[in-house]
Amino acid sequence: MFSRAAKEHVFAAATRIALFISIGILAFLLGAIILRGLSALSLDFLFTPSRSFGSSGGIAYQILGSLLTAITAGLIATPVALGASVYRSEYMTSQRARRIFDLMLYGLNGVPSIIFGLFGLILFVNIIGTGLSWFVGGIILAVMMLPTATLATVNAMRGIEKNYRENALALGLTREQTALRIIIPQSLHGLVTGVLIGLARAIGETAPIMFIATAFSGATVPTSLHEPVATLPTHILALAQQAADPAALKNAWGASFTLIALVALFSLAAFFARARLSPYSRR
Amino acid sequence: MGSALICASLVGLIILTLIGQTGPVLSGHFSSLWGTVWNPNTDQYGIIPMLYGSIIVMLIAMAIALPLGVLTAIYIAETRSARLRGIMKSALEVLAGIPSIVYGLIGVAYVSVWVAKGLDLQTGRLILTAGIILAVMILPTILTLTEDAISNVPEIYRENARALGLYRHEVIKDVVLPHAKRDILAAALLALGRALGETMAVMLVIGSLDRLPSPLFNLLSSGQTITSKLGREIGESAFGSAHFSALVLMGLILVLITLALTAAAQWLIHRAPREAAHV
Repeated sequence: MFSRAAKEHVFAAATRIALFISIGILAFLLGAIILRGLSALSLDFLFTPSRSFGSSGGIAYQILGSLLTAITAGLIATPVALGASVYRSEYMTSQRARRIFDLMLYGLNGVPSIIFGLFGLILFVNIIGTGLSWFVGGIILAVMMLPTATLATVNAMRGIEKNYRENALALGLTREQTALRIIIPQSLHGLVTGVLIGLARAIGETAPIMFIATAFSGATVPTSLHEPVATLPTHILALAQQAADPAALKNAWGASFTLIALVALFSLAAFFARARLSPYSRR
Repeated sequence: MGSALICASLVGLIILTLIGQTGPVLSGHFSSLWGTVWNPNTDQYGIIPMLYGSIIVMLIAMAIALPLGVLTAIYIAETRSARLRGIMKSALEVLAGIPSIVYGLIGVAYVSVWVAKGLDLQTGRLILTAGIILAVMILPTILTLTEDAISNVPEIYRENARALGLYRHEVIKDVVLPHAKRDILAAALLALGRALGETMAVMLVIGSLDRLPSPLFNLLSSGQTITSKLGREIGESAFGSAHFSALVLMGLILVLITLALTAAAQWLIHRAPREAAHV
């Protein structure tokens, strides 16, 4: 048997080693992405279209396609998230209904991303018959980000102080007026933050859109709703599969870095939105 | 308002859409489903290798990430250094924002090469590699949530235990961890769900071989998970065919498992608050 003091030392050492391993992993990941990414990056790379299946040329259309699908998703998800959360906090009266609603959202949040792709493929591409379409990709990404956006808005609405509602009632405002004049303005920061965080996640997703919205090469600027686009994640996927080719690998790192920069951009926007848009009463 | 209804019914809609497509394989090839052979050319759709692959990869990931995450979380939470905590939290937030395809790229460019060289194998695209990459991917989830759980244990418990003359590891083992047990378990369940549903990274490094490894616990063989199978083959199968419907069936199984995990985690978090502390 070891003495208690010896066990203490072993335990302390184990936690310290775990910390070093974790920090090592963090540092390695960030270092690899930043170093390999920066060395592949140039203005030329960002603004020229890709050639020979991505192993030469740049990623101009991929950036465009990613932004297009993500922003479409944001535009679709925002009104639905707003409507759903107003309904939940103002019109849903029973606690039970609210719990079921929340559980459904958490459930949707936990659905694996590839399942959204499968769902979109079956429902839109085949049953409705849209074919490969960037717009369908936007819809599916909107479905994916809906729980994030809605839960953030619901949380903001939950934080509204009781006397705001009481005052509105005392002034004789109808439920509709209360929602429009009090609840929505007071929870706007939650909606904007939630949508931006959702966008940061959506733009990096590959699995939901790879069967339904993207083409690996040859896609340019779409001229109708029924055309596929190229996106950064699917581009990285195609390049990672030819990783034996150093030129392809280099471009994959460049595209990864660009993608993470876009994710960071949306996350930072979310951070500032939360700070700027919070109502004065809660700053 | 309709939007609430849309939100609440989407999960059901997804499940119904999937169920609607499972018909061909359930009616025509039901017996082959529980076999170990997957070969669409001979109408054999055994899903066992994929189920096994998903579970074993998930277990490897948890076996690495759970002890590592919990021990690191203990260090961060118990040293009570606000600076260390702040730095780690923001680094983890950055990591959580890295898209899974980029983890896949790291797996292809580094981890699988290391595994192949280190173990002197021809290919590094193995079940073990997929497990390692997944472990790295779920580490931030486990670490953040566990650290929150441990930090939320009231200080008075620690003080009392120290006053009784317990060593630090005894305080943690006998007082702090039992107290934070439920939240840590919920964190583990959420991480499990993520690990099961992860597609891109796994698909790039697992080697895509639709067979059970032999012997069964040979982690150094290529394999296949449900998600990597879906990612590889959905594009190749014809809509409405038995092949396609077998893939959809696997997707359905995956959704049901992850929904159950989410529900269990939610139940753990929202269960009636613990009884008042007897101090």
